[in-house]
Amino acid sequence: MRHPKDMSRRQFLTRAGGAAIAMPSLAAILAACTKPGSGSDAGASGSLENIPIATLDNPVELPLTSEPIAADTPIESGPLVLYNWADYIYKKVVQDFEEKFQVDVQISTFNNLEEGIQKVVNGQITPDVFVPTPGYLRRLVAKSLLQPLQHELIPNMANVWPSYSNPGPYYDLNWHYSIPYTIYTWGVAYRRDRVDDADLASQGWDALWNHDYAGEISLYDSYGDTIAITILRDGSLDVNSQDPAVINNAKEAILQTINDNQARLTINGVYAKLPAGDYTVAESWSGDIVGASIFYLPPGVSSDILGYWKPENGKTMIGNDLLVVPSVSKSPRLAHEFINFMLDEKEGTENFTGYNGYQPPFTSINPETLVAKGIVPETLTSAVVTEDMFKKDLTPYELPPEVDQIWLDAWTEIKAGA
Amino acid sequence: MPEIATDTTTPVEDAEAQEPRRRRMRRRGDPSASDERSGVWYPNWYWPSFIAPGTIVLIFLFVLPFYVVFSVAFGTVDFNNFGQAVPYYAPWWWSFHTFNGTLQQFYAGSHIYQDPLIRTFEYVIAASIICLVVGYAVAYYTARFATKYKGLILILLVSPFWISYLMRIYAWQGLLDVNGPINKILTPFGFAHTNFLEGKAITVILGLVYGYIPFMILPIYASLDRIQESLLEAGRDLGGSGAQTFWRVTLPLSRPAILAGIVIVTLPMFGDYYTNDLLGSTKTSMFGNLISQQTEATAGSTRAASLVLILSVIVLIPMMYYLRETKRQVEQA
Repeated sequence: MRHPKDMSRRQFLTRAGGAAIAMPSLAAILAACTKPGSGSDAGASGSLENIPIATLDNPVELPLTSEPIAADTPIESGPLVLYNWADYIYKKVVQDFEEKFQVDVQISTFNNLEEGIQKVVNGQITPDVFVPTPGYLRRLVAKSLLQPLQHELIPNMANVWPSYSNPGPYYDLNWHYSIPYTIYTWGVAYRRDRVDDADLASQGWDALWNHDYAGEISLYDSYGDTIAITILRDGSLDVNSQDPAVINNAKEAILQTINDNQARLTINGVYAKLPAGDYTVAESWSGDIVGASIFYLPPGVSSDILGYWKPENGKTMIGNDLLVVPSVSKSPRLAHEFINFMLDEKEGTENFTGYNGYQPPFTSINPETLVAKGIVPETLTSAVVTEDMFKKDLTPYELPPEVDQIWLDAWTEIKAGA
Repeated sequence: MPEIATDTTTPVEDAEAQEPRRRRMRRRGDPSASDERSGVWYPNWYWPSFIAPGTIVLIFLFVLPFYVVFSVAFGTVDFNNFGQAVPYYAPWWWSFHTFNGTLQQFYAGSHIYQDPLIRTFEYVIAASIICLVVGYAVAYYTARFATKYKGLILILLVSPFWISYLMRIYAWQGLLDVNGPINKILTPFGFAHTNFLEGKAITVILGLVYGYIPFMILPIYASLDRIQESLLEAGRDLGGSGAQTFWRVTLPLSRPAILAGIVIVTLPMFGDYYTNDLLGSTKTSMFGNLISQQTEATAGSTRAASLVLILSVIVLIPMMYYLRETKRQVEQA
């Protein structure tokens, strides 16, 4: 119980306390007076302007933002944090790595790459190894979010198609920052027990717009992929179109198959729902349908029922996913070892054929041996990617922001169900 | 209301003069104005301090985050940094460009947000009505007729919460699948094979009902359970039939609970997105889906924040009505 005479002191304390709270927030408010993004703040991302967007015709060597780690860096005790798509690595291969190096591997997953990128950029997650696509590489490097690779620690790069290290892929000449994890094409996966091969080949992309399959059509819930294949379906080869009219037509076409044929936007449509029988035709990355044949068929169902169609060479869209080491990595040497491990012929092939279905670009892998060994069903031969395709086929590139926004707006309209 | 009116019109000195002396003295911290019964004197800040934790929580978990939403909505995005949000914390930098653009999509141009908005209202109203009708019946039975099973029914009502909502909706996905059990049960009875999950309004509405109906039942049950038997007997005594007693006694007495139940279920339904994500398609996109999609999209955060502000204004309307109603009821009581 306090005596009223304390009042003045209490008031003083209250006011002093109030002032103590107010001072820092005042500083914050004053700091907020400078308009964010203006002045010195903008300079931080300025180096982006010095790196052009990479294309096959305009390959880019990314600048070194720091030195690679020394080749004799001791191997850290871990754990190794891998930030990856869900269901995108074989657990057995991960266990092999854990045993070999006596470390823990912690796998965090993202459901779409935009989400993954946001978390890496925000620092919400500090992975040792991350799995982006080439389209993000330039921006990640410009922000100094990746560290250059120490090539001496990745001798298994010799197992990869030579063009990946000499001169290196168009997006990363001399592979300063990335190694290819998987390669894949875009096509149509279908149920051979419901659609004839020749019939589907004659339809091509139009199968995804065929009313006969109403209610059993899946498209990827991913704006870049689905708009690009719709542009192909509409007869253009410009899968990186900057023309609003082309993008608008693609949007109308996608809305049409959603409204008239109940096409669904999914992520697991190919590898889980098509084998289960929910879908008859689906937009598909080649790795998803191979993965479906390996892992997801209901018991007693032959992999013969799965088919994959892709356009003729020169009209196929092809892409790859990368392994990179973020600059925040706490175990960079271990990260290098992990990358090297995944490029090991035995481990990398096991990851592909044991579970993942996504092919690493190894020289030792070719369609004939895969089919002959029974790893890939004969009906899915077309899902195997070869090195010559990679050099001449269509490739999705990073879109300039203002164009990307047009694609995103089209997708917003599709998703709003307008 | 009248008290406030006199307060503002009366000069301060007069008001103080009219105030009972004891209260005035306690207000000034005079120890002689102590609580006479207990003989304990509490300083001025004692009772108000009880609200401090709540105020602090409200400031840090509501006011500040909400201000950040404003700053993001009226800020910009940095395309050189993966389209990350650049919030403008200082109101004098606020730019209404994105907000206006977002707002216009509800009524002008290609108005891509109009359909989801109308749909949201339709689904929420339909689901709330079903919740109310079904929920009232269940609550009424439990409160009046369940007797010794009352406890069991209440446990059963709450038991779904032991399993996460997400898990339960995934279970519905399996049940409602084209090849799922529900189709297998219905087809022998002459129902056509139905794909419930292809974006059907009825699936989403029933999903919402399923998710939120316990929140309707519990407050109504609590209120019905408290109605004194004697009031109902009086109703019958005065010549009312069973139905008349219900309409003129039970229903008016449970009205506050009905209002509370409606508010508790509709407010979250307006922002619900996962029910539609899991049971519907883009054809049944609701307002919450627009927000969730923009938060995931590259450079979508300003638009997402703008949509949040617009949704807040929309749900403010039923909320204001609720507050006004409860205030009126308090005044009547």
